Amino acid sequence: MTQTQAIAGSRAHGNVPGLAVSQGGNRGGPSGGFRHWWPFYAMMAPGLIFFLIWHYVPIWEAKMAFEQVRIIPPNIWVGLKNFQMLFSSPVFYQVVLNTLIISGMKLLFVFPVPIVVALLLNEVRSSGARKWIQSAIYLPHFLSWVVIAGVFIALLSPSDGVVGQITQALGFPPVNYMTNTGSIRWILVLSENWRSAGWDSLLYLAAIIAIDPALYDAADIDGANRWQKIRYITLPGITPTIATLFILNMGMFLRADLNQVINFQNDVNSSTIDIIDTYVYRIGLNTGEYSLATAAGLFKAVLGMGLVLISHFVSKRLTGRGLW
Amino acid sequence: MLRRTLLMGATALSVSLAFMVPAMADPVTLRLVSKDLLTSNPDDVKEMQAIEAGLKAAGSDIKIEIVDMPGAGYADALGVKLLSGDIPDVIYFQGGDKKMADQGVLEDLTPWIDKEPNLKAALWPHNVERLKNYPYLLYIYPPRAPQPVMRKDWLDKLGLPLPQTVDDYEKLFKAIHDADLDGDGKTGDTLGLTGYANTSELDSIFNQAFGVTGTWMKDASGQWVNARITDQEKAKIAYYAKLAAEGLYDKEFVTNTYDVKEDKFYTGKAGVIFGSSPEVIDIYGGKMRQAHPGEDISLVLLPLPKGPGGQGLQAVDVSKEARGFAIASTSQHKEEAAKLLDFMASKAGQDIDRMGFEGEQYTKDASGKVTFTDKISTWYARFFNAANWTPPTPLLSPVAQQALDTIKANFTADNAFVWPADYAADLDATEKVYRSWVAKFVTGEASLDQWPQFVDEFNAAGNTHMTDYAKTVLK
Repeated sequence: MTQTQAIAGSRAHGNVPGLAVSQGGNRGGPSGGFRHWWPFYAMMAPGLIFFLIWHYVPIWEAKMAFEQVRIIPPNIWVGLKNFQMLFSSPVFYQVVLNTLIISGMKLLFVFPVPIVVALLLNEVRSSGARKWIQSAIYLPHFLSWVVIAGVFIALLSPSDGVVGQITQALGFPPVNYMTNTGSIRWILVLSENWRSAGWDSLLYLAAIIAIDPALYDAADIDGANRWQKIRYITLPGITPTIATLFILNMGMFLRADLNQVINFQNDVNSSTIDIIDTYVYRIGLNTGEYSLATAAGLFKAVLGMGLVLISHFVSKRLTGRGLW
Repeated sequence: MLRRTLLMGATALSVSLAFMVPAMADPVTLRLVSKDLLTSNPDDVKEMQAIEAGLKAAGSDIKIEIVDMPGAGYADALGVKLLSGDIPDVIYFQGGDKKMADQGVLEDLTPWIDKEPNLKAALWPHNVERLKNYPYLLYIYPPRAPQPVMRKDWLDKLGLPLPQTVDDYEKLFKAIHDADLDGDGKTGDTLGLTGYANTSELDSIFNQAFGVTGTWMKDASGQWVNARITDQEKAKIAYYAKLAAEGLYDKEFVTNTYDVKEDKFYTGKAGVIFGSSPEVIDIYGGKMRQAHPGEDISLVLLPLPKGPGGQGLQAVDVSKEARGFAIASTSQHKEEAAKLLDFMASKAGQDIDRMGFEGEQYTKDASGKVTFTDKISTWYARFFNAANWTPPTPLLSPVAQQALDTIKANFTADNAFVWPADYAADLDATEKVYRSWVAKFVTGEASLDQWPQFVDEFNAAGNTHMTDYAKTVLK
């Protein structure tokens, strides 16, 4: 089965005879259904347990934000005291601002790149060349941020980095981009693109492959050039995928990537790229102020939820599609 | 009658044995968690067995159960473990202990130190002060006071005397920078000094030189102020910035890691680095010789410089131990835990902990003379470095011993104190602002003309609030 068929099949699963029978035929109530479908429930169980433990139990434990956490229970209810402490610190406002700026930059300059990469890959006619390019651009995804940060620090070193040597050869003074508050956010964007643009293009590439080839054949007969085919067939064809991923990205808008930032952070640039997650990590795990860190995390989660809802309703209105 | 007597006697004996046998067969098991102490490390396991034997010989039948904990992110992982309710008997903290002590999870060690025979004599002067302020952690080591070292052959080539003042230091750095000491045929490509992450290593010798005598200082009107916003601090940072601007101090210290700093020293890209402890200075010497086989390289310790504010090592924070061993107040075996810590402070415990094992880390000849083998270079103490323990053969090289003597001779107590939990956000914010501005000043990202801007930001970040509290604590 080809990838196109697989995707087409998955879309049409509601018409699969077996499923139709299962939806229509209730074999003796819920317990009978469970007995019949238990292998599928068993396969689903690890995922459900994962979400229950790591995504739903923590919602209840977020009450720590309103408590003074005690190693020996019970915790003491302190109301909004932790939030008052948080909002009285000017650093927290800077941290929120940094998160919004970095996330905004990533949304503008990172989110569209995999779409462009997928479109470009789709235009490569030689399958050998395409496979080679795909392998090359997927590779950075498997490197950890520790390694990537090390590579960037070495590349951008003003004394013996390649970038410094090139700029000096061109007659410009060396610049330490890693300690330059004007450039560090762009380095985050650049390194994020380098790491994830290839890998993230996979979803779009799959969506492109799922577009009915007959549409391209018809466009050829009508005399459409490549650009027109991209504009009038490919892009509209992957718009639902783009919309869904955009909304999901909005949910993670305030994430800004702790692992990346923590590895690129230093004393000079920390005021520029200190984000909510690094703040939570520092206050919560490093100093043991779990309640304060939970308050910061909860604040971020509520903001994120709000952004998802706004994106959903805007998308519904503009494209007719949303999360539900 | 006889039968009844025999029966009663046998019953009494069996009952007595029933109580005695478990007491003899079951030693008390102590759960111990410490950084880099792992059941997968044969040396760790072997040392614990030797300690158990030593304790047994001293009359305490204790079994030590190592609780494995990852070395990377140890403090974070430990905090989460304790929060989950799994609290070992003896816990090594590397931060995060204050929260536990505030909640009564850690035992006050003072009565145990008074009761046990060895701990008190093993303490260093700063340990005594720290225990008075915060009696929950025990870390018997000399204070960590970074000191600068350089290659002796390089100093000889330069023909300069050891620097005595801050100006001498600048001259030395300049001479290193301008000479071709690494023999690559180029001059001006060697840094006088390199470092990593921040300037705290430099503060170790330059704070006192510029008059930064403690965390809190009195201004002209006699009011307590945070030393970080004083004129003395500004003069010190101006000195660092001047060194960096002249290419003498590594501007890339901010992005340097510990490894990179060392590598620059071994490869001749930098002339001087700071060693965080006497033992570390010896490691630098060994690694330098490894990097240059066939060359007879030794290191020289640079003296503490005189400056406009005086001379000496940075005042030692005695508010509390930053790391160390604690006994859990929830432990059912506090007495045994105290005995373990006391044993490690005794001569028998120190012999094991500091020297390793006969036939491996050292050998003994017929006269009892101890000679350390090459393996001693990879051996490290898992517990303490007692002030009253002397190795049978010197463990430190002359230059490292000199560094230790300097630490002993220059101990000054700082006036920092332990902050209440309510100041956590302020402490984090002020630390961030200070480190960020200092790095910007030194690297040239910001001009010292912006000092008032830094002071305003530092005060707004929480220093005003903190200073109000400090005034109520300091006398």
